[in-house]
Amino acid sequence: MALPTPKQRPPGQLQQGWQRLRRNRSGLLGLILITLVVVVALLGPWLAPYAPDDQSAMLGFASGGAPSWAHWLGTDRNGYDVLTRVIYGAPTALAVGLGAMLVAALIGILVGGIAGYLGGVADEMLMRLTDLFLVIPVFVMILAVVRLFGIVVVGTWLERVPFLNLTTIVLLLGLFGWPPIARLARAEFLRLKGMDFVEAARCIGAQPLDILFRHILPNALPSLAVVIALGIGGAILSESMISFLGFGDPKAVSWGQLLYFNYQVLKVSPWAVLAPGGAIFITVLGFNLLADGLSDAFNPRLKQ
Amino acid sequence: MSDLLTVDGLRVHFFARSGIAPVVDGIDFAIRPRETLGLVGESGSGKTMASLAVLRLVPPPARIVGGSMRFQDRDLLALDDAAMRGLRGKSIAMIFQNPAYSLNPILTVGDQLIEILRWHEGISRAAARDRVAELLRLVGIADPLHRLRQFPHELSGGMKQRICIGRALLCNPALILADEPTTNLDVTIQAQILDLLEELRERLHMAMLLVSHDMGLVARMAHRITVVYAGRTCETADARSIFHAPLHPYTRALLDSAPRVDYDYEHEVHPVLKTIGGRIPNLAEPPGGCRFHPRCPEATAECAQLRPEPFQVAPGHIVSCLKRGSHGLPT
Repeated sequence: MALPTPKQRPPGQLQQGWQRLRRNRSGLLGLILITLVVVVALLGPWLAPYAPDDQSAMLGFASGGAPSWAHWLGTDRNGYDVLTRVIYGAPTALAVGLGAMLVAALIGILVGGIAGYLGGVADEMLMRLTDLFLVIPVFVMILAVVRLFGIVVVGTWLERVPFLNLTTIVLLLGLFGWPPIARLARAEFLRLKGMDFVEAARCIGAQPLDILFRHILPNALPSLAVVIALGIGGAILSESMISFLGFGDPKAVSWGQLLYFNYQVLKVSPWAVLAPGGAIFITVLGFNLLADGLSDAFNPRLKQ
Repeated sequence: MSDLLTVDGLRVHFFARSGIAPVVDGIDFAIRPRETLGLVGESGSGKTMASLAVLRLVPPPARIVGGSMRFQDRDLLALDDAAMRGLRGKSIAMIFQNPAYSLNPILTVGDQLIEILRWHEGISRAAARDRVAELLRLVGIADPLHRLRQFPHELSGGMKQRICIGRALLCNPALILADEPTTNLDVTIQAQILDLLEELRERLHMAMLLVSHDMGLVARMAHRITVVYAGRTCETADARSIFHAPLHPYTRALLDSAPRVDYDYEHEVHPVLKTIGGRIPNLAEPPGGCRFHPRCPEATAECAQLRPEPFQVAPGHIVSCLKRGSHGLPT
């Protein structure tokens, strides 16, 4: 805002939350883990010792090779360098997690926000819709849709869209992942719309949109950030499971897919499974710890 | 002198799942320009609901179902939503009970005050900031430019209430609705805030509706007083008459149950503080006839049958009680 030189602007609720998060051990650890994954994802092409589609180890009968100086994490049964593939899996995982939660957050906040703010019949109907989405067996649904869609697009222009399969998975995770966000958004909007400062804004003639976007939504964001952070971890895990079952995007490098390719040789070359498994573990743990830390930072009273 | 705001037979019903509760069922009051009207009653008597109804902001599932409200010769219930929004904050402003909750915690004080002026007056941000700073100085804030950059949680309760008062005054309203403005403040701060309100009302030529359960506070501030009980007006008169010649049994009971500094209770020079027997009725099933009859020492059989109509006993002194000459309507 255009107030004069806010040099020593005192800490707002968000800054205070940030300060508490920094002092929170699990939150900070989560943040460090996530930063690690993000850095790896961004610098992937420069960090990775081989090209992601380099299968040359196959030629030297070195597929499934144990960790060595040439291949720090060994090679897998297809002759890929495991470290390279794990590094290239990071951007995929983050894109899936962030993309799916972006979709889910938009739908969830919209549905839950409208339900909570309007109340009455609209609330009743939207929340029953949310319940409906909660009881759908998401996993089976996604597997079925991904497979059917994969067949339908054959021979059409859609086939040439890059990462079509992965995009479908992301959208589906988002489309089925919004109910918890909607429930929380509803609760928050319901709570906040009755607060005195919202009433006060109404009493001074604020427009409904101002009330929603200036007074209610920003106050609901801290709590929503917690479920969204949890959801990112959940979405990454879901995508890994889908890929592990062989329904993933063949053109993308994904950790779940690495597990799928190598689980049969678990006893022979465990590194090819442990490395992507560890990567999934670290990433999901990071987001879960962050969610935990955020929840402590924004609701410090809950812990006492 | 013509009235600034006239509320006549206001009815607000609460539409709960279990049934309809008439929380306001015939409240009348009128405010003249530049006067303070005290609206007094117990918790649950509908006084806050009535003040919100003036802004047409009764929270759902409550709804205004009847009565008329005229403000500056305009019918408030006939205005469209946009016109009503234009009125809120500009002509009629409200001060809330709890200053701690009535400011948005994540916006600076400046941000929330400046936006109001920009909505209502459409002036530039810099001009709005100057006006806000000037107003904050008026409500007794010493370094307004610094305060404007602060968040609500950095301010004390009294400071927050000063800012809320400043916010209410931003557009020079003709009427201020103050809903228990000092209930949540320290006693020492209470006096300061009341003095401030009184001084500003005088200086800015405003009228004030002071909603309170505190007879002492109302005695100090109000020119005229309307006493409400269980959603209906009992008695309206100037402050002197209310305190020195109360007519309605409920007004009397209310005055008898307020402690007085000049009484000596400890040495039993004066009788022990009286209480009003019974409890405020469940408004989902209000008693028939006069709402106060189950607790009224003077009640007779007809009080349970007939609803008392307002009756003017003396100029400006209106009472609704069958024992004081009111005409009764069968319920």
